[in-house]
Amino acid sequence: MIELTGVSKRYGTKTAVEQLDLRIERGELFAFLGPNGAGKTTTIKMLCGLLYPTTGTVRVGGFDMVKQGDQARQLLSYLPDVPYLYEKLTGREFLQFIADMYCMPSTHAKTKISHVIDMFELGDFVDDLTERYSHGMRQRTVFASALLHEPSVLIVDEPTVGLDPASVRKLKNILIDQTKKGVTVFLSTHSLDIVQELATRIGIIHQGRLIGCGSLESLRKQASHTGTLEEVFLKLTEEAAAERSVAK
Amino acid sequence: MSDASGQSTADNSTHQGWLFQRLRWRQLRNAAKDLTGTLRLRLVSIVICSFIVAGTVAVGSWYGFNLLETNRIPSAGGIIGLLFDFLFLSLGVLLFFSTGIIVYGSLFHSPETAFLLSVPARADNVFAYKFQTAIGFSSWAFLLLGLPILLAYGVVYAVSWHFFLLLPVFLIGFVLLPAALGATACMLIVNFIPQRRKQVLAAIILVLVAFVAWRSAIAVQFVRSSIGRPNRDALNQLFSQFEFASSPYAPSHWMTRGLQNAARGDLRSVALPLALIWSNGLFAYVVAAAAARRLYRRGFNRIATGASLRKRYGGSRIDEVFAWLLRVFPWQTRVLIIKDFRTFRRDPAQWAQILIFAGLVMLYIVNSRQFYEADLGERFSHIISLVNLCATSMLMCAFMGRFIYPLVSLEGKKFWILGLLPISRDRLLWGKFYFAAFGSCLIALTLVAVSDLLLAVRWKAILLHLLTVIILSGGLSGLSVGLGAMLPNFRETDPSKIAVGFGGTLNLIAGLMYLLLTIGIMALPYHVHIVLKTDEGDPFRIHWVFLGILVGIIVGGLAIWLPLRAGVANLRKMEF
Repeated sequence: MIELTGVSKRYGTKTAVEQLDLRIERGELFAFLGPNGAGKTTTIKMLCGLLYPTTGTVRVGGFDMVKQGDQARQLLSYLPDVPYLYEKLTGREFLQFIADMYCMPSTHAKTKISHVIDMFELGDFVDDLTERYSHGMRQRTVFASALLHEPSVLIVDEPTVGLDPASVRKLKNILIDQTKKGVTVFLSTHSLDIVQELATRIGIIHQGRLIGCGSLESLRKQASHTGTLEEVFLKLTEEAAAERSVAK
Repeated sequence: MSDASGQSTADNSTHQGWLFQRLRWRQLRNAAKDLTGTLRLRLVSIVICSFIVAGTVAVGSWYGFNLLETNRIPSAGGIIGLLFDFLFLSLGVLLFFSTGIIVYGSLFHSPETAFLLSVPARADNVFAYKFQTAIGFSSWAFLLLGLPILLAYGVVYAVSWHFFLLLPVFLIGFVLLPAALGATACMLIVNFIPQRRKQVLAAIILVLVAFVAWRSAIAVQFVRSSIGRPNRDALNQLFSQFEFASSPYAPSHWMTRGLQNAARGDLRSVALPLALIWSNGLFAYVVAAAAARRLYRRGFNRIATGASLRKRYGGSRIDEVFAWLLRVFPWQTRVLIIKDFRTFRRDPAQWAQILIFAGLVMLYIVNSRQFYEADLGERFSHIISLVNLCATSMLMCAFMGRFIYPLVSLEGKKFWILGLLPISRDRLLWGKFYFAAFGSCLIALTLVAVSDLLLAVRWKAILLHLLTVIILSGGLSGLSVGLGAMLPNFRETDPSKIAVGFGGTLNLIAGLMYLLLTIGIMALPYHVHIVLKTDEGDPFRIHWVFLGILVGIIVGGLAIWLPLRAGVANLRKMEF
């Protein structure tokens, strides 16, 4: 469903992502980990078509993100770490806008809007202007809008920031449900406990290079460490940093 | 198959076009419903200010046209035609730049467009949506300045009613062409100029502004000389100077021709210029939209990745000079002022606006010297110097409202950092006050001194103006910093939005009133004295002038002390 082939991205002279090859299948929950500035957000932006790869190709649902971006975007939903909402629209109007943007038939859109309002418990505030929403309310509204058009690919950047424990639990259940329905989830987060609990596969990026990719077990083998994901992650990134400094 | 696909693409584009219109309508409707006291005050103040500006332009234009009419100037029609050519050319250039800059900001640096580009919104639809907003923002100034001039022309020359009916049709059509060209230029610059985009853009703007200012200076000089000494050669020379604006291929000339024909009630001759304006405007828009379809996403990618990932910022000589200038202040206060200065100078969007406006005021001041050269006498040069003082003070007032008032609010959620520092909160505020007063004084004193020296007004007038500027910058800084601390808005991160909020509007109105009061009591009596003393004796005794200065200083002191005291009191009890 998602395919990155030989993807590199340069900012001026600095390389943010280097020769990234990745294939994520339908119904997979792929967790993308890495230290700050490793290239996670750049990769996500290339997946959404906001940025173009300097070299290589990004395909979503078989569509080339550069040449067939409009078709590819019909299939995906992107939840950025700082969600955007129109301040002078109500939550319901925003959901309606998204439904219209994805050309959903009106009766189906109405049913789906009611469904996501219930699912994310937006009922109390959905008819207020979004400028009055708290961070958690904004996050839930944006999540609801992302699931409205039943995307095939869900790209999520740091979804748990600012959410209370109950909302985090709910979010985890929703992500599991989505993968069961065949949705491919690309999750970027620093919450390693969530990754350990949910991810089918884990990719670790460090200084733009994918230094590990696979199940938790395969990463443990690669790191020669039987500990938690946190320990495995730290070991792999430290080794990569050491290798990099030796190479320099 | 391809027909069906083409049809579906067109349907989708139309659907999205309507969707964006509905989005805009919904936002406007909700904003109107939510029109609380704050927003109402803002709206009323905008309407009042617009009426004042439009009224002033209308009265000035009426006076000018009347002068041409009553003096029976030969070839007055030609002169007016030339002035219109030049007016539309200047407004066209302004529209080109302002739309280009607004389109750049809204398409490439706004979180909304980043969001829209991640959903299946077509690039040209996003462009069209943002282009319409940009046109709205950039053309209000065009209407505010252009409409009163044209209405005054219509009234003085008692033109046919067709002129008034067709005026909006001409103006709206004309806006499209430079705006679409500006948007296309923006798209091309973003996509094809490799590095140092901002510098290239700034250089182009400066060159063009200088060119327009130069040509306008020539126009003013020739028009004035032709009023004093009607001379056919001079007129011919003047017309030849502006061949480019009067060319049959220049849109500015289509406007002039169309409106002058409408003024005569010659509707048949109106059709061609009107058709040219609209067809070219619409064509330019189609070209801009087609460019956006191909280049917008590419440009967005380029903007995001064109520069280095990280930029190194180090110390700067300017900071050192600034610190040296501030050495009279205690060390901690100096550190705070330099922090504010550093934040300010690293945001080109902030200082570029001051640079442009100060540059425009300077251009105006340098041009106003011609009145002196025209030997209009001491009285006129003093009146002009007072007008220049007012213009500079207005600039200072706008600077305070836009940049200084939001300073405390901009500390926002970081205010606890300052709140925990081992210095009193009074000093935080005084630091901002010194920064504002020092910075504004530096710019305003330079502008006023240059103006007065060029006009060669009396040294007493120069000293009086400089003192007025010092008092004004102190008072306006006190008001802006004090009110900013009394009514902080820690939720908002955009300084322009803070500036137009309730507190910002209140600050602007208070600043304008204080400015009028100070100039009225400090500088005006002296000028009235100069203007009236020879013709009608001396109705003002000179001690009135000095009494005004004394009252001005006291009012200035109060404008510093009262708001800062209230601001400090609010800051002291603030919890972080």
